[in-house]
Amino acid sequence: MSHSVKRGMLGLALVIPSFLILFVVVILPILYAVQESLIDQNSGEFGLGNYIRMFTEPAMRTNIIYTLNVTLVSTVIALLVSYALAVYLRFGKGWMARWINRLYFIPMFVPGVIATYGLITLYSNHGWMARLLLLIGIDTFPKIIYSYSGLLLANLWFNIPFATMLLSSALAAVPNSVVESARDAGASSLQLFFRFILPLSYKTMWVALTFIFMGIIGSFTAPFLIGANSPQVLGVAMQQVFSNYQETHTASAMAVFMFLLCSVMGYFYIRTMGQDLDKQS
Amino acid sequence: MTEPQLSIRQLSKRFKTGDGVSDITLDVQPGEMVTLLGPSGCGKTTVLRSIGGFLEPDSGDILIRGQSVLKLPPEKRPTAMVFQSYNLWPHMTVYDNLAFGLHIRKHKKAHIQRAVTDALELVQLAPAARKYPSELSGGQQQRVALARALLLEPDVLLLDEPFSALDAKLRMEMREELRDIQMRTGMTMVFVTHDQEEALSISDRIVVMHAGQIEQLSTPQDIYDRPSSLFVASFIGRINLLPAVSDGTRIRLQSLELEPQPGQALLPGACTIAVRPEDVYLTDEQHSLAGTIRQVMVLGHYAEVSVVCDEQIIKMFVPREQAVHLLNGQAIRIGLRKFTAFPEQTAGITVSHTAASQAAATV
Repeated sequence: MSHSVKRGMLGLALVIPSFLILFVVVILPILYAVQESLIDQNSGEFGLGNYIRMFTEPAMRTNIIYTLNVTLVSTVIALLVSYALAVYLRFGKGWMARWINRLYFIPMFVPGVIATYGLITLYSNHGWMARLLLLIGIDTFPKIIYSYSGLLLANLWFNIPFATMLLSSALAAVPNSVVESARDAGASSLQLFFRFILPLSYKTMWVALTFIFMGIIGSFTAPFLIGANSPQVLGVAMQQVFSNYQETHTASAMAVFMFLLCSVMGYFYIRTMGQDLDKQS
Repeated sequence: MTEPQLSIRQLSKRFKTGDGVSDITLDVQPGEMVTLLGPSGCGKTTVLRSIGGFLEPDSGDILIRGQSVLKLPPEKRPTAMVFQSYNLWPHMTVYDNLAFGLHIRKHKKAHIQRAVTDALELVQLAPAARKYPSELSGGQQQRVALARALLLEPDVLLLDEPFSALDAKLRMEMREELRDIQMRTGMTMVFVTHDQEEALSISDRIVVMHAGQIEQLSTPQDIYDRPSSLFVASFIGRINLLPAVSDGTRIRLQSLELEPQPGQALLPGACTIAVRPEDVYLTDEQHSLAGTIRQVMVLGHYAEVSVVCDEQIIKMFVPREQAVHLLNGQAIRIGLRKFTAFPEQTAGITVSHTAASQAAATV
């Protein structure tokens, strides 16, 4: 056997274990789910029946639109807030910036269930907020929990710290001399942001965007505990279809749909990274 | 007398760490190249960054062509700065790097194109216009950075150790090129460096700084020949620092009685004699120091000879032909052509004896 063939075999042997694991725990279940989703829940025949129902049944359609709405709005707000926060932490010099810098990632260390119950005790109709407001004579409290806004709040709580951390490290990698030479050349604060800070950190912004989007679209715990009964986000709806109605095939179709949504995001993510590699080489 | 291009008045800036500068006053004439020279931490960069607007001084004033710029942010000041490293904007081509400042100033497109091309030709990098900074070598990047700063046509160009990241040979080339560009454009420049050789070679005047204060401000020639303090003497060029004793009118260095240089008054007591290696010569006179040769090092057209006189090492430069006849351990006599004497008090403040002679040995 020649040397290069031997090396090739060795390479293959090293890759095979991880590929097998990947195959068994990721690829097989996906294929299985796709297959399951193609068996009509009602008739048992092979076909697109589950998908057609998913997009035509009013309740399900509402759920899909609701999920996309919550996901997009939460993602955009979380991204904007984290970006602003990261820029502030990068260039802010006061005690405020120092303290925020120490504290902002604490939510990441609080388990999701506990955080969700925390939000409930704080913002529900008879929660702390409502009682505090009552003390100063305000007896109307908006309905925050068990609604769209509660879900939004939970999503922001879970995603802002992580995104801020990502963006902070990207901004930390922008050298001071780049910022200073830009100002020296006459750039105003806005020009500085759009011509320098953003182009030099937008790759990380895409990473953050992808992670936030995927995290939110597939979320379950928070929407299950804090969301409205109807409409529901896909994760909760899927659980209901699967456990309560025991419609395995319908649930599979929903899972495949969610997977496709994430794939679109993944496609843009990979394309952005690829473009950057082209530019650098 | 013409109005100075740049005028710094009683500038003070102290950091929380205690570092900083105090009471810096300096006038730079139009078209002049002034270098701020000193060891790291002496405050030279603090002064430069204050001029550029990146630091807010505690007190004092900075005027450019008679106008105070203290209240202006960097983007509004008529200054441009070349930084030590990571100078160029990595996401823009060389052309865009140069054109950016002109775009902001709302110049016409045709004008920008011409100006950028001219600037690239000035630094001999015309073919690199479409490249990204990461595709250029360190020297090329600094040349582009220089071109970018020149394009802004600043009233004062600030250079913060721009060549310190380059290798020795390239540094020399860049030095010449910078001096050349400065002569051609007549631009006023303030240059910061810790490299005394660089400072001596390119400056019209040098400001030697130490511990946040101006130690000496003069022409390179004057600073080299007439250092005003022991610190300047030991920092600029190579020098021997020898302990001696003065009785007020004459100085005793080992067995030798010396007359102070004209114009130098010295209080009685211990003092330090600073003498450059090129001012030490071999002699047969009786009025000289006896010593033995410890080492002869040939350094091109001259040789450096270490002579031990009464346990003190004195370095001297000898023409190469003469050095051929010198052997290790040989007894010789040496004389001092000229020297500067510093009273012990200032020596105690700035550099201790041993430290000073070590510094002299390593410079």
